[in-house]
Parts: sequence; structure tokens; C-alpha cells
Amino acid sequence: MVGAGTAAGAIGDARRAPRFSAAAFLVRLLIALGVLVMATPLVMAAYISLFRDAVVVFPPSGYSVAWYARILEFPRFGEALGTSLRIAALATLGSLALGIPASLALVRHRFVGRGVLNVLLLSPLTVPGVVIGLAVYVATVETEIATEVPLIGSDLVLVLAHLLITVPWVVRLCVANLVGLDRSVEEAAANLGAPPLSVLFRVTLPMMRQGIIAASLFAFIVSFENIEMTLFLIAPGQTTLPISVLQYLEYRIDPLVAAVVMVQTFVIAGLLLLLDRYVKLSRIV
Amino acid sequence: MNTPYLRIEGLTKRFGASTAVDAVNLDVAAGELLVLLGPSGCGKTTTLRMIAGFVEASEGRILLQGEDYSGLPPHRREMGMVFQSYALFPHMTVAANVTFGLRMRKLPKAEIAARLTETLDMVRLAPMADRYPRQLSGGQQQRVALARALAIRPKLLLLDEPLSNLDANLRQQVAREIRGLQRKAGLTALMVTHDQDEAMMMADRLVVMSEGAVQQVGTQEELYERPANPFVARFIGHSNLIKGTLREGAELAIPGGAIRLAAPYAGGGEATLAIRPERARLCAADDPAARIVAEVEDATYVGAHIEVLLTLPNGERVILHDPTDGGAARRLHPGDRAGIAWDAASERLFDAAGAPLPARAPIPA
Repeated sequence: MVGAGTAAGAIGDARRAPRFSAAAFLVRLLIALGVLVMATPLVMAAYISLFRDAVVVFPPSGYSVAWYARILEFPRFGEALGTSLRIAALATLGSLALGIPASLALVRHRFVGRGVLNVLLLSPLTVPGVVIGLAVYVATVETEIATEVPLIGSDLVLVLAHLLITVPWVVRLCVANLVGLDRSVEEAAANLGAPPLSVLFRVTLPMMRQGIIAASLFAFIVSFENIEMTLFLIAPGQTTLPISVLQYLEYRIDPLVAAVVMVQTFVIAGLLLLLDRYVKLSRIV
Repeated sequence: MNTPYLRIEGLTKRFGASTAVDAVNLDVAAGELLVLLGPSGCGKTTTLRMIAGFVEASEGRILLQGEDYSGLPPHRREMGMVFQSYALFPHMTVAANVTFGLRMRKLPKAEIAARLTETLDMVRLAPMADRYPRQLSGGQQQRVALARALAIRPKLLLLDEPLSNLDANLRQQVAREIRGLQRKAGLTALMVTHDQDEAMMMADRLVVMSEGAVQQVGTQEELYERPANPFVARFIGHSNLIKGTLREGAELAIPGGAIRLAAPYAGGGEATLAIRPERARLCAADDPAARIVAEVEDATYVGAHIEVLLTLPNGERVILHDPTDGGAARRLHPGDRAGIAWDAASERLFDAAGAPLPARAPIPA
């Protein structure tokens, strides 16, 4: 018995009491289940990547880290990773360039067509990726025929297409961020003699920092992991990592893919950890 | 003709069909602290924001030192504003906050450093120069906001509810501090508040606003002793307002009785009598001084005085403050009948339109 009969003990008991209630137990159980469901694919991938056999069988005949070394024998994974990172970085920058001004306009100004713009900017989220991919593909082919400029498989088309799915995230996160900012801080800057552009660069954007970082993160990941839309727009030698994994799986199922996925996961996790040093991710996502 | 330092002419703001500020005229002398006082939604903040340039006026002019400021963007107005939320730059240190306006003016570095030291000393924040706003207490943040506005040596200091986010026990101290700094710097200032005590404590003159219009402009004493209409009488201090019909200039008829007025008045018709709780006294029901007899509903000892709630013959309630030093109220019980007495100087009568009715013969001094 801890502190029974004392005030501190009474408080401790009162705090401890809900732990034994059925509702609290249920909540804990659900959280545990949720974590389990989310972690399973990752744990399985990590597990399979260590199998020795070239054909995935269970139980494996032994364990090995050789598959990780063999990634290097397939340079197209490396190329695909490069393409993915390049496209994701360009799509992120592009969506910030479009999304930040758009959210400023949406939150700070009232203008004709504001509602339409708002719906338009968020609508790609409601359209299936396959449909967007097909539409962009058809439009690109038509443009190619009309202009005779080769477009399919170019960075330009991939980045433009990815903007469709990244801009809504940037707008959504920046709008949420802006709505929470005290307007009078910007007024104070103007009052102290800052012309509108100075207010934007010295006060508004620095105050949006957390929203902008969260937006970049989402844009990058949404672009990096996209398959269904990107599938229509790639060309030989211009493939993103998720698609090259998919293509590999069409012919073989061996632990190499799992090893590739693990490397990709570590790259992303590393980026997130690095970012977390500068911004507390738990506060913004 | 003598031009005032700040003149506001017919300043009006309409939002769609509603009028937030209705033709406000004000003259402010150099070095004066004028307080706009009124309940929320009375247009005082909109008036201040029009002067700062954040809200465009629908009509009217703002003249500072004879120069028309209408249409000038906020960053060209040279006015220092202290916001209700302080609106400090969260990503800048105290020093960067205070020097922001100076850097915008591209002053030489040495000058900026000198003014920073001077301003921080003024608000006693020198040791906090490298802190961020979130590391400061509310009172300290408030002083940073003030320092930031003072550092630019503004032509006009604007204060929007500067004390409303402070603890009650800090308010008086900060109010005096702001007042002291404003006086010392010789600044002309405009302050907005809904808090009467704050307004009374800080103002040279007050402007009472209601429903977008100026109700009265005057010193504390003028507003308290000679309110221009029933709204001011009730809003400044507190007044019991009793509606009735003025008969023969000598009494106010109310349903179920009549009030004997202290002063004679000209005319007749609908009128409203204003009596302050602390300016009337209780007496016996049969005392010849009693102007009306009422029934005691409740008497509460609150320390400084006894708060007596009485019901008039017409069923309306009035509140009186009876002194605690041996006043009659202590022997009063619910249901007792008591007389209410006051003299002519404590009585204020308004006509149906709300204008004060003058006493017929001036009372000799």
C-alpha cells in the first residue's frame, strides 16, 4: 500500500483508479491493436528481407543479410530512387510556390471566386489517382501529337502531375496554420512601418514556419510514394522507386524487394528524425 | 483659430447596411490622453482602427497636425499601437521586437542601439533583451509591446484595451506606468477600453460611445456629475433611472405615486430621473425630507457601504448605498418602508429625447 491514509495517497489512488476501469482497458487494447496493425507490414518486410532463400517460403531455411548487398547489383533501383527523390523535391518546391500564396489569398482576402478556388485546390484529393493519371496521360499524348515535343516520361510532366496531388495538402496545412495565427501581429508590423512585402517576408512567413514544414513533409511523402497516378506517366529509364519495386514483383518474389523497401523506409525515417530536431513533428502533424 | 493636434471629422464606417461608427467628431490636444469608452460593439475599436489605417473609413477625415491622413496606408502613418493581444513577433527576441520599427525606418545602427537601450530602460526590461516573447510573463509582454510602440517615437500612441489581458492586481500598476511614460514622452495618446475604472484612472478626457455614436466627451468629473443623457448616467458610475411624467416642473408622476423633485424644472411631459446610489440617503418614511417612499426588498452589508434594494410604488427597483457608519439601513428589514432623500445637486432629469432638463432657477452657490 502506498501512502494509504495520506492526502498524497488519496490523490494517487484517485488517479490510479481509472486504470482498472473497463473503458480505459478498452482504449488501451484498441491503441495496442492499432499499433500492431500499423507495424505488421513493416515488421514482416524487415523479417522477410533477412530470409536466405530466393523463393519466399515459411519457415525460411536460414537467415542472411546478403539481399541488402545485392541491391547494388540492380542499379535500376538506385536510378529509380534518384528519380523519386528528384520528382518529390521538385513537386514539393512547386507546391509550396503555388500553395502558400493560394492559402494566403484564401485566408486573408475576400474575392470573387474564392469559394470556387478553394474547392478547385482541394478537389484532386477526391478524384481517384488512376483517373487523374489517365487524364494527364491522355492530355500529354494529345499535346505530344500537337506539338511534336516528347513529353511522356519527362520530369516536367511528372512534376506537374504530382503538383495535382501535393498542392491540396500544402493548401490544407497552410490554411489551417494561417487561421490559427493572430492577425494583429501582421497589423503590428505594418503599424511599425513595414510595407506589405516586408510584413510578408519578415512576419507572416516566419510565423507560418511550422505549417510550411508540415506541408513540405506531406507534399514530399505524397509525391514519393505515389503509384497509381505515376504509373501512366513513366517511360523506360524514367521510373520511380515504388513502380520499379512493382515491376520487379511482376517477375519475381524474393527478399530483395523487402530489402529495398527497408532501405527506403530508413531513408524516410532518417529524414523525419532529422526534421524533428528542428520542428516538433508531433505538434504539427 | 487654434488647430487641435488631432482632429477627427465626421468619421463614419458602414459595414453593408449597418453603421459601426456614425459621424464621430473629436479634437485631441497635444500631449493629451483621450480614452474611448463604451460597451463592446459601440464602435470604439473600429474608430481606433480607422485612425491606425487598418480599416478604411466610409466617410470623414483624420487630421494629424493639420495633415489629412485618410487613405494613407498603416505603415506610413507613424503611429505606435499597443494591441490587446500585444501582437509581439513570436519569432523575434525582445530586442528585435523593439527595434523592428527602427529597422524598418533604416536608422543607423548606432542610433538603433541607443534607442533600444533607452526604451528597454524605460520599461525596465533591459535584462530581458535576448528572451523570446513566450519566455515572458503577461505583464512583461505588455511592456515589450509598449516599448516597441514607443521606440519609433510615434506621432500618436494608440492603445487598444492594453490592460484587459492582465491580472486584476497588475492592472492599476501598469495603468500608472503607461500614464507616466506617456506623460514623460509628451505623447498624444488615444486609448480604447470597455472598463470604466481603467478609463477613469488614465484619461485626461473621456469619450463615451454607444451604438457607433459619441454620447459625451468630457473629463471624469463632467461625465460623472453632468451626464449628457441617461446612457452616460448609467454607464459612468451607476444611476438608477426612473421614468415618469413631469408635472408642474416639481414632481415626477410614476404609476402608484409621485417623486418630489429637488429642483424646479421648466415644462412637462415624459422624463427620466437619474439618481446615483451613493448620492441618495435613506430616511424614515414620514421624514419630510423623503422625496419618495419605497419598500425595502433587501439590505446587504458589503463593507464600504450597505447595498439596499428598494421597490418603488411602480414596482421598479432602485439601489442605494447607505453608509455603514451607523446608517439607518442596518435596522432595515425586507418589507420595511423607508423614505429616499437627495438634494438638487444630486438630481439629474432628462427629457423624452434623452437631453438633460435644466433646473429652472440656477441654484445659488
